[in-house]
Amino acid sequence: MREYFKQGKVDQFRQILEEGSSPEIDEYYADIRYERIAILNALGAYYSYLGKIETKQREKEEHFILATQYYNKASRIDMHEPSTWVGKGQLLLAKGEVEQASSAFKIVLEGDRDNVPALLGQACVEFNRGKYSDSLELYKRALQVYPNCPAAVRLGIGLCRYKLGQFEKARQAFERVLQASESHNLDPENVEALVALAIMDLRSNEAVGIRKGMVKMQRAFEIYPYCAMALNYLANHFFFTGQHFLVEQLTETALSVTNHGPTKSHSYYNLARSYHSKVEGECCLSYRVKRKVGNIEPLALALLVALIFSSSQGDYDKAGVYYMASVKEISKPHEFVFPYYGLGQVQIKLGDFRSALSNFEKVLEVYPDNCETLKALAYIYVQLGQTDKGHEFIRKATKIDPRDAQAFLELGELLILSDTGAALDAFKTARTLFKKGGQEVPIELLNNIGVLQFERGEFEFAKQTFKEALGDGIWLSFFSEANKSSIDAATSTLQFKDMQLFHDLESNGQLIEVPWDKVTVLFNLARLLEQLNESGTASILYRLILFKVNGKCPNALSMLGELELKNDDWVKAKETLRAASDATDGKDSYATLSLGNWNYFAAVRNEKRNPKLEATHLEKAKELYTKVMIQHSSNLYAANGAAVVFAEKGHFDVSKDIFTQVQEAASGSVFVQMPDVWINLAHVYFAQGNFALAVKMYQNCLRKFYHNTDSQVLLYLARTYYEAEQWQDCIKTLQRAIHLAPSNYTLRFDAGVAMQKFSASTLQKAKRTADEVRATVAGLQNAVRIFSQLSAASNLHIHGFDEKKIDTHVGYCTHLLSAAKVHLEAAEREEQQIRQRQEVARQVALAEEARRKAEEQRKIQMDRRKHEDELKIVQKQEEHFKRVKEQWKSSTHSKRRERSDDEDGGTAEKKKRKGGKRRKKDKHSKSHNDTEEMEPDMMDEQEMEDEDANTNYREELETHTKDVEENPQENPHGLLALAGLEDSDADDEPAGPSSTISRRRQALSESDDDEPIIKQSSPVRENSVDMEESDGEIRGGEKTHGDDASDEEK
Amino acid sequence: MKLAGIKSVDNAHDDSVWAVTWAPATATRPPLLLTGSLDETVRVWKSDELILDRTNTGHCLGVASVAAHPLGSIAASSSLDSFVRVFDVDSNSTIATLEAPPSEVWQMRFDPKGSILAVAGGGSASVNLWDTSTWQIVATLSIPRVEGPKPSDKSGSKKFVLSVAWSPDGKRIACGSMDGTISVFDVQLAKFLHHLEGHFMPVRSLVYSPYDPRLLFSASDDGNVHMYDAEGKALIGTMSGHASWVLCVDVSPDGAAIATGSSDRTVRLWDLNMRASVQTMSNHTDQVWGVAFRPPGGNDVRSGRLASVSDDKSISLYDYS
Repeated sequence: MREYFKQGKVDQFRQILEEGSSPEIDEYYADIRYERIAILNALGAYYSYLGKIETKQREKEEHFILATQYYNKASRIDMHEPSTWVGKGQLLLAKGEVEQASSAFKIVLEGDRDNVPALLGQACVEFNRGKYSDSLELYKRALQVYPNCPAAVRLGIGLCRYKLGQFEKARQAFERVLQASESHNLDPENVEALVALAIMDLRSNEAVGIRKGMVKMQRAFEIYPYCAMALNYLANHFFFTGQHFLVEQLTETALSVTNHGPTKSHSYYNLARSYHSKVEGECCLSYRVKRKVGNIEPLALALLVALIFSSSQGDYDKAGVYYMASVKEISKPHEFVFPYYGLGQVQIKLGDFRSALSNFEKVLEVYPDNCETLKALAYIYVQLGQTDKGHEFIRKATKIDPRDAQAFLELGELLILSDTGAALDAFKTARTLFKKGGQEVPIELLNNIGVLQFERGEFEFAKQTFKEALGDGIWLSFFSEANKSSIDAATSTLQFKDMQLFHDLESNGQLIEVPWDKVTVLFNLARLLEQLNESGTASILYRLILFKVNGKCPNALSMLGELELKNDDWVKAKETLRAASDATDGKDSYATLSLGNWNYFAAVRNEKRNPKLEATHLEKAKELYTKVMIQHSSNLYAANGAAVVFAEKGHFDVSKDIFTQVQEAASGSVFVQMPDVWINLAHVYFAQGNFALAVKMYQNCLRKFYHNTDSQVLLYLARTYYEAEQWQDCIKTLQRAIHLAPSNYTLRFDAGVAMQKFSASTLQKAKRTADEVRATVAGLQNAVRIFSQLSAASNLHIHGFDEKKIDTHVGYCTHLLSAAKVHLEAAEREEQQIRQRQEVARQVALAEEARRKAEEQRKIQMDRRKHEDELKIVQKQEEHFKRVKEQWKSSTHSKRRERSDDEDGGTAEKKKRKGGKRRKKDKHSKSHNDTEEMEPDMMDEQEMEDEDANTNYREELETHTKDVEENPQENPHGLLALAGLEDSDADDEPAGPSSTISRRRQALSESDDDEPIIKQSSPVRENSVDMEESDGEIRGGEKTHGDDASDEEK
Repeated sequence: MKLAGIKSVDNAHDDSVWAVTWAPATATRPPLLLTGSLDETVRVWKSDELILDRTNTGHCLGVASVAAHPLGSIAASSSLDSFVRVFDVDSNSTIATLEAPPSEVWQMRFDPKGSILAVAGGGSASVNLWDTSTWQIVATLSIPRVEGPKPSDKSGSKKFVLSVAWSPDGKRIACGSMDGTISVFDVQLAKFLHHLEGHFMPVRSLVYSPYDPRLLFSASDDGNVHMYDAEGKALIGTMSGHASWVLCVDVSPDGAAIATGSSDRTVRLWDLNMRASVQTMSNHTDQVWGVAFRPPGGNDVRSGRLASVSDDKSISLYDYS
């Protein structure tokens, strides 16, 4: 029988056994119990073996049921037969019921301590329970009892030792299995031992070991092609060698032969990995294609990538499915965590961030310090918008491995949006790490550093960084060239699309190569150079990009256009911008915006404008802005531009509405900071003459966006005050601006102008006090000082003022000053006179009252005591009269008025006002000469100074425009900030859309014409304290009067 | 180390307060606080209660800087009109009016011995040294122009000198410019020594450590406070934290801390051992133009005081311990 089995004649074997166990035999050989038990046990063992190797669940079950039946039958014959118990134990083991199997084996072992099969079974149980040392003991005992036992025992020992970490002993055990199987002719090709040895070889992590391991693995595979473990390892191997087809086949076989959870999971994992990496591989391929092609059309490139990606989409899905299957086979994630990682990766790729998140978190539970996982999690959080958590994770990753340049790189990228300073630091760390590690610093990293430095205004550093990023190349020659004398060459090439320079160079044998990954850096460098006013070199670089990379690169074209605009090449700029716009079929809103801006500039640029042209340009600009608006209805910049055009056309209400909307939209977003809208809005208010609102707007803008540190906005503010004729505020504001920007001499000039204007206007005022005049004089002195300082400084070539202009101002101010001194004297004189007049009037009033009182008293006294006292009183009165008369005589020069005053007699105030008015006519003849002399040139001067102020502001504006232009990518809208101001300039011209300013000014000048008549009328104030110290009452009255007068002036 | 608010005076001036300094104690009185403002006045305050002692007029434009003689009896104030007015702290009598056209006047500092007043000369790219007995200019320290600027170039204004500081031994002067460089001079030889680089925006304030004549602190519009070894031309450390321009810096008398004021409306206290900001005071509502530690001396030597002034017209006094 045994021979049959050994020879593989399984059918005969079964037949015989079945016959042997048939009911007839049972009855016939009822007393030969042992043989019957043996037959039944053999059948049981046969079926449990069948069940064990059967992979189909249902048939497996059936086999196990049959085996159970046979064993039960056997134990019915003899309860205590050890071999039956051993068989049952084996069956239970095969079924995976470890505990029951253990109790079965224990029953046997209690009877016979050295029952080898039971020992082996128990060892197996212990092994499964993870008690490897116990298992090892049992195996050893089995070997002692039965030294010739099958190789399986040694295999068991080997496995136990392996699990216990005694690798060398394990290896010996496995090798002995193989030897033993050869010498004992037992199991000549023991697959398990081979596989185990192979695994050990593979784990050695040495090339030789791995090769040896693979050889063994392959032999094992040849011996028995259905060992799942071997299949998995082979697949693993082929995965690393990139033979994805083999991987798939092997793993699929492995999957079909095994039911063991972890092994299956491993297989799925391999399969998924294979698909996953296949996709990556293709992307990699496309990446390489990109590298090679270099100057391929960006669009085509994008298409290619998209194509590959869509075809690979399926593979991603498959990979995902298999990862998922793998994960499902795993009950506890810490047993085999890699599939979670893979699944997470695939889910990221497929955009399922939430699931990816949970998977990566599982990985993190097992490996809490895994940088890759931390980074992946950080990435997911960022994608999910939870930037803070992302930061946390990436920071953790950088902490765990402070030498992981990649992590710092990612940290930097995360921080760019929120904290540029920290981002820069992170990038720099990454750079040093790369350098330390001897790796080449990625160009992207250098580019990022450069851009950040650029944005922070560290231009020199940024330049160095960009140059480092660029490395060697044709551009070096341009830098040196630009530095040397060949600037001429550069300027000569400043012609649209003039690529002559490059052609020359090429014909000279110099190769012009622009690697694709350096284009961005080149572009940024060009922008930087532009900022540094090296527009020549910048222009060459733009051209280089255009020439080499893409003749229609809209970005470079736009930038070139802006550059030309800056260089006042209007026509060229227009062509370039139009080309940029055409290159994108008018769909690139930036190009369209630039074109719009160009039109706008074209409309406002000339001093002497052609109204028709201006109108068409404006119309065109509006059209373009509207076009952008149609494409991107939420484009704030376009809206801003359109509003500016409206403002330019004088539709202030419309533009105000738009500005307000843009402002609201901008304030709703955290990322868009548009202080310019505020400024524009303020400009509109300003142009409408709503100075108070404009002031408020400027102030808010300053506080909100600039920490009150922008002297430019302060200048706008000052101008508003200037137009509102709030001179003191204007001067104060200018002083603030000077304090903020001490080296801006233009501000000083403006301050000087403001003081001069203030003084002039005070002098022209109808009513002013001597103090006011004094303040005027002080202001003028200041102005003179400022102007003369400026003129002195201009000798040092510190600033670009026209000396003559300053000298004129100095001249005018000194002139004004001398005039003011006259005025001051006059004012003071008049004040004195008035004081005297008042004094006299008061004396008179006093006298009158005294007389009246005396009279009354006299009457009363006369009534009461007619006789005795009469004489005394008369004497007193006479004395009094005498005194008064004397006083009268002392003030002879105003006799006439005395009389009139006497006539009126009423309230002091009225009298004086009237007196003043009358006086002005008298005085007119006198003072008129004075005024007339001054007036014409004063008017002239005033005009001149207005103009100066305007041009001066215009200068300011232009510089501002330049500032804005230099950085167009960030704020093309900035160009527009000046619009309102330009407007207001226009308003100064009578022809312009008239606003309150001009009207006011007209009114003012009209009144100027009239006013000199009233000019020196009523400077009424207490001046001469020394005159009447004694009489408190009078002084009090005077004071109130003075207050009244000044109230009225207000 | 920490700051604790003692008192704030709102509307201490009629307009922005731009400058602050302490006049040291004299035999007859405790230290006084001097503040200068856009309202063209200098005001003198009695310490701790911040009672207004006097209002000094006499400037025609905003007062940009005030400096006090180490003996405490005289002080100088300068305004945007480029006049320096030297006056007696206790009587307010004018001692001298200094003017050195065409250079304007920005920050001023008396040397530790009180014999020289250094005045930052703005666009003249120089520092003028005035003798405090004769009130004559004894030297003009000019920053050499490194690269020959083209006439059309605006680089002339690059070396615009804003701030000035004396080393505690009185041998060195450092001055900060609009372009962010700091120039160091030898006073005795009246000679330019070298530049300190590292800032990229105007350096509005400088101060030497009271104990280490090499250690210099600078505040710049780039938002950073730098520590330099002023002799070795080395940047020792950078301290950042302010959200906007750093307008002023002063070092505590014990040399362990510095205080800074910024456009971000805060006053920060920095621990020099940790090189980190340890406290942020945000009681001002506008940019903080000046901070000043009270020099030791007088009756209450122990208690440190810090004063800060701001565009919001207010003065704040803190206890420093």
